[in-house]
Amino acid sequence: MSIRNPSQLVPAVINRCLVFLLAIAALNQPILMPKILRAGEGSFSDNTPQVPVFERDVRPILKAHCFHCHGEAGVTESQLDLRLAKWLIKGGESGQAIIPGNSGLSLLVQKVTDKEMPPDGKSISSEELSIIKKWIDLGAKTARPEPDSIDDSLITDEEKSFWSFQVVNTPELPAVQSVKSIENGLDRFILAQLESRNLTFSPPADRHVLIRRLYFDLIGLPPEPGEVEAFLNDPSANAYTSLIDRLLASPRYGERWGRHWLDVAGYADSEGFTDKDPEREFAFFYRDYVIDIFNQGIAYDQFVIEQLAGDELIQGPLLPLSAGKKRLLKATGFLRMAADGTASSGADRDLATNENIADTIQIVSTALTGLTVGCARCHNHRYDPIRQEDYYRLRAIFEPALDWKKWRTPKQRQISLYSDHDRKQRAEIELKAKAVDDHRIERQKAHIQRTLFEELLVAPDNKRDALQDAFQTSSNNRTAAQKALLEEYPNIQNISNGSLYLYAEQRNRRAKKIESKADTIEQAYLNEVASEHLKKIEPSRLSEVMAALEQTPAKRNAKQKELETEFPGVFVTPTTLSIYSAQGAKEITKYRQAAAECRKQNAKDELANLTNKAAEIRSSAPREYFVRALTEPSNHAPTTFLFKRGNHQSPAQEVPPGDLQILSDVSEINISSNDQSIPTTGRRMAYAKQLTTGKHPLLARVFVNRVWAHHFGIGLVDTPGDFGMLGSRPSHPKLLDWLATEFVESGWNIKGLHRMILTSRTFQQTSARTDSLDQIDPANRLLARMSLRRLESEVIRDSVLQVSGQLVNRLGGSPVPVKEDGVGQIVLGKQKLDGERKPQSGNNLGADAERRSVYIQVRRSRPLGILESFDIATNAPNCNMRIASNVAPQSLMLMNSEFMVGYSKKLASRIEQETSDRQLQFQLATRLCYGRTAQKETLEWLLGLADTQSRRFRESNPKWTEQKIQTETLANVCHALMSANEFIYVD
Amino acid sequence: MADQYQPPDSAPNSSRRHFLAQTAMSTGPLAVAMLLGHPNQVMADSDPIKPNLGNNSFDLIPKAPDHSASATAMISLFMQGGPSHVDLLDPKPLLNKLHLQKFPGKIKYDNAAQASSRILGSPWKFKQFGESGTDVSELLPCFANIVDDALVIRSMHTGVNNHGQSIHALNSGRTQQGRPSLGSWLTYGLGGQTNELPAYVAMTDPGGLPVEGVLNWSNGWLPSLFQGTVLRPAEPRILNLDRPANYSPTLQAGFLEAVNRLNQKHLSSRPREQELHARIANFKLAQRMQTSATEALDLSRETKATHRMYGLDDETTREFGQRCLIARRLVERGVRFVQLFTKNQFWDHHGSLMNSLPKSCKKIDRPSAALVKDLKQRGMLDNTVVHWGGEMGRLPVIQNDTGLSNVGRDHNTYGFTMWVAGGGFRQGGTLGATDEFGHHAVEDKVNHFDYHATLLSLFGMDPAKLVFKRNGRAQSLLDGQPGRVIPGLLA
Repeated sequence: MSIRNPSQLVPAVINRCLVFLLAIAALNQPILMPKILRAGEGSFSDNTPQVPVFERDVRPILKAHCFHCHGEAGVTESQLDLRLAKWLIKGGESGQAIIPGNSGLSLLVQKVTDKEMPPDGKSISSEELSIIKKWIDLGAKTARPEPDSIDDSLITDEEKSFWSFQVVNTPELPAVQSVKSIENGLDRFILAQLESRNLTFSPPADRHVLIRRLYFDLIGLPPEPGEVEAFLNDPSANAYTSLIDRLLASPRYGERWGRHWLDVAGYADSEGFTDKDPEREFAFFYRDYVIDIFNQGIAYDQFVIEQLAGDELIQGPLLPLSAGKKRLLKATGFLRMAADGTASSGADRDLATNENIADTIQIVSTALTGLTVGCARCHNHRYDPIRQEDYYRLRAIFEPALDWKKWRTPKQRQISLYSDHDRKQRAEIELKAKAVDDHRIERQKAHIQRTLFEELLVAPDNKRDALQDAFQTSSNNRTAAQKALLEEYPNIQNISNGSLYLYAEQRNRRAKKIESKADTIEQAYLNEVASEHLKKIEPSRLSEVMAALEQTPAKRNAKQKELETEFPGVFVTPTTLSIYSAQGAKEITKYRQAAAECRKQNAKDELANLTNKAAEIRSSAPREYFVRALTEPSNHAPTTFLFKRGNHQSPAQEVPPGDLQILSDVSEINISSNDQSIPTTGRRMAYAKQLTTGKHPLLARVFVNRVWAHHFGIGLVDTPGDFGMLGSRPSHPKLLDWLATEFVESGWNIKGLHRMILTSRTFQQTSARTDSLDQIDPANRLLARMSLRRLESEVIRDSVLQVSGQLVNRLGGSPVPVKEDGVGQIVLGKQKLDGERKPQSGNNLGADAERRSVYIQVRRSRPLGILESFDIATNAPNCNMRIASNVAPQSLMLMNSEFMVGYSKKLASRIEQETSDRQLQFQLATRLCYGRTAQKETLEWLLGLADTQSRRFRESNPKWTEQKIQTETLANVCHALMSANEFIYVD
Repeated sequence: MADQYQPPDSAPNSSRRHFLAQTAMSTGPLAVAMLLGHPNQVMADSDPIKPNLGNNSFDLIPKAPDHSASATAMISLFMQGGPSHVDLLDPKPLLNKLHLQKFPGKIKYDNAAQASSRILGSPWKFKQFGESGTDVSELLPCFANIVDDALVIRSMHTGVNNHGQSIHALNSGRTQQGRPSLGSWLTYGLGGQTNELPAYVAMTDPGGLPVEGVLNWSNGWLPSLFQGTVLRPAEPRILNLDRPANYSPTLQAGFLEAVNRLNQKHLSSRPREQELHARIANFKLAQRMQTSATEALDLSRETKATHRMYGLDDETTREFGQRCLIARRLVERGVRFVQLFTKNQFWDHHGSLMNSLPKSCKKIDRPSAALVKDLKQRGMLDNTVVHWGGEMGRLPVIQNDTGLSNVGRDHNTYGFTMWVAGGGFRQGGTLGATDEFGHHAVEDKVNHFDYHATLLSLFGMDPAKLVFKRNGRAQSLLDGQPGRVIPGLLA
């Protein structure tokens, strides 16, 4: 358990469930791993006291706590090896570790008691210690003579006989007394256990309970009142089974059960691993494939083979992609669900690739075989007989496709769904876009030169040429003097493609400066011309002329105007300047024109428009979709090495592909490292075939247990992802085997399995607890009744949409995006951030916002608020079991959220369209929300409450019309109905 | 193995324990007490064999620091954009002397198109205040009154000339995005001090999120439990806490009565379902939280005098004053870390400094000073750190050289000023100095990591020991940077 998952490592930039309440809730609530580990479970089923023996009772404890330093992988600290009882007696540097018959004098017991061992604050529990003491005191017995030497791969007989590694037996149907009360074979196993404790089944549930149970179980939505009516009034003997068939045939069934599998597969629409958590645009093809598998009723073995080796099933060339080939490629998305750090920069690549491989192995092994193989990545599994070498044998199966030495990033792995026609069309469009790009580059160069020219115009005259030279000189070749000069004029030094927009923003300011410089120059020329001509005037006329000059032109009298004509040179004006100084006029014009040009040229907008135009042209190409697939290059069979301590930088011996050694007695475990008959190595195909022969002890057991768990709320093995020593033992091992056998014999028929479970008497019981049952079996593992269950987050959201009449049912397609709103809450919508990372609002998704939750984007870092608060699947790296928490923020969400209030109003208007009679309205609301009619007493009470609530609305909203008050009152009652326990629990 | 399932008198009842861990603990004492009615099952898991869960278990239960602490809570007033230190708290007479002359040396500009190498003197007068005689600009008259309670640090340095990077340096220890923020580290190390309010609260301005947005209060790769909880910039300050629009208190009471009645009815035929009892209890807890958090945010419970002190009577200061006052009320009720942000680039005065800087100062000066004064008079200042500062200061030279009314100052992260008060920081006076132009910190330079090391030590934590294991590495706020606890900062 020492390996951390990247998906855990990357939690949460961003878990922005900012609903403050989560934080509050957590105050008193340590976040625990959902898996609960329990002590000594292997032995509790056997009540007869036994003399403890090393192999069964003591070795597992020492294996878990001590072997790592005392025996395993050649490490024997203090010369002490604890793997055999006789070596304990022999002892190490400090002498004998145990003295048989006297635990008090045994060094091992002392060291453990003094907390000296194990070191670093780890400890052996008092319960375990007492087992060790008892074993020593009773003579330190072994089950059989011990060998002289052992190697690391030792698997003991005790380990070999562990229940989940045994071949699946077909048990005989047990005899039961009350044959009348059973529906099928399944019931016999349950009833036999009940009867052995003098218990029996609870009574069958009413039809209105059953229909609700079936709807939530199979399609994850509440039944509509009409559907309830039809079922209640169906006189046919097959009413119940035909309802099951109808639901199994509904596309909603695939959405519901596909989601269960997506939990197990660790489905996500983002890559995780780094804080960027890039989106996986095309993961949804795998999601849709899974939904389709369930809807089409594809056999489970086929489903497993396709997911593990869909690409290897494709015969002949990959292209062109037929529908069948596409489907097989989509299936391999299963092996591409683990977080992948190579989708973004910034992650240590070798670490990221190896974590991705490790997560993939963990997903495959927990999902399909219910084993925590990942714990053997660094050393032999502490609890289960899974050797480190086994881990690398499994890794070798995937190495050709997931080769960390020749890694392919998610982009490099994707396979285009473009047709030749699409490709041609895009090439034509690209040509057009490229032309726009070229034009933009030209314009950019021109703007740089113009901007430089403009800035130089207003630079000091004596530095202009030097500045220009300095700027045009490439920065490497500039002299010290040039550098210093440019330092002094940062406004010239920094003109560049990147800063052009800043200069464009300042263009009016710059134009003004140029104009004012033009004015200054003009004035200088005018003065020069005037004074030259003044010199030529006879002194007698001088005072007269000077007086006229001092007068502003508009105020000059007629006489003075004559002087203007007489001495045009003296009275030179900007208009006449060119007559006297062609050069001056030219220079001024140059400045004026430059200023005008400067004002006119908006480089920022012009270039941005060209960029947009190119993008727009490109966007007119047909959208290119890609499959997120796992494929293997041809003729690529890299060697897999065992990594010492799991460190990819410390490769040790080569390891061939294969399944776990522990299974060798019951199943084929060796896999050819290269199947010459196909271009790929065929390793995954071979593994998939071995899993699905029907002989593998885990594949069918694990799957039927998952299906069972979803129907009953708890599995026969209540750790669906761990069938090892730390997992729980099956409550009904024979039933589990019987179901597995039936399942395999039915052709791995998933819908058939549902039918068998759903038609059982066990499933159709009431859920009522009784005092006596609670005394005997509070957790309802014996199934003398059905269990009350809280609905999953997706089902709660979907139910609200459904009863309010808003649910949009459409199968498949791109995920409905989630975004961060202005305060960091995760809501539905397309994310648009401005340059400073502020979210922009106003993204209307339209009807997509009301699609089923399975279609909402699973961004690891951004769980949708409403879904997260009711326990979304947490990928670590996959989710083998949902938790169902019960915290106050959920109540606040129900009480106050816009979501609940908004849809209460929609429910109210749905009801108003049916009837305006208050009593009928409440009746309909109850039927919509709870699938049953309202009791008279409750109805009367609600009517009374409604009057009060109406009065309150009226008081605080004097301007409301009576109609509005009535609608709001109805919505208020609907809100209460949807917030109450009956809405989110199913019997 | 025998096909006999042994029910839980001999086996730990996993689902019940699970239920307790997941459920009851979060429903408060009420539900726990209710469930403790089954003592045998509650304590069944005394000593199970299990691998060390280590980092998989996190909570906000108060934790004792490593060593004695002077600070137990902190309020950070983040002046996003970078206030001009040379115009506010770090007077530079030489700038006024060389006003409009060429700056003799190298300067790194941010906005090239408006850059100029001419020096800009400060148009505002400085005077010494308090017993400590600290120089304060006329733009901060209220701060001048509390100057003896605060320590002005004039030698801050992050060395990256961008807003985003420098914000990250100061708020999450490194210039990169994605690391846990200061508040996350503090609450990770110390937990909260209340179970009715979050431990870490961020308060943004109605004018918009600061640069880097929500990353400012991100938990990075710490568990999301330690993420800052954002109070919305306007009512409702907390989502889902306030009653729905149109639901008056009595109307909501009626609604809750209906829910409760429906739940009781539902329960009456399922009386043994503890899960349903717990959820009913949760509705009551939710109501309590609605009350306690609402109470904490209700400023009408403060006196008129307090309102005036924080500037709630003045349009200019009201908004920021409200947030400062809420910050005090939160800390008073056990919140560990509160950070207030000014609006996006509020202090980023690239132009119109003459007009904008006084406006910015007016908005925040009175409330900021009031917060220190108020904490002091309530005896809370001794163990509450108040921080005031942005991610940068400004350059000594002109930006946008188009007439004095248009000029501004560009970014400067090489030497800038912030002030701290309370929680064990030295009271009164200054620490460190920038060069004679105010461009570079030259004396007692305080890097962001030095500031963080000092801050953590005031909270009783060793910066090297406050670590989170990740990728096999012990990660910390300082992340290996050579941060020192700076003696000159301490009381």
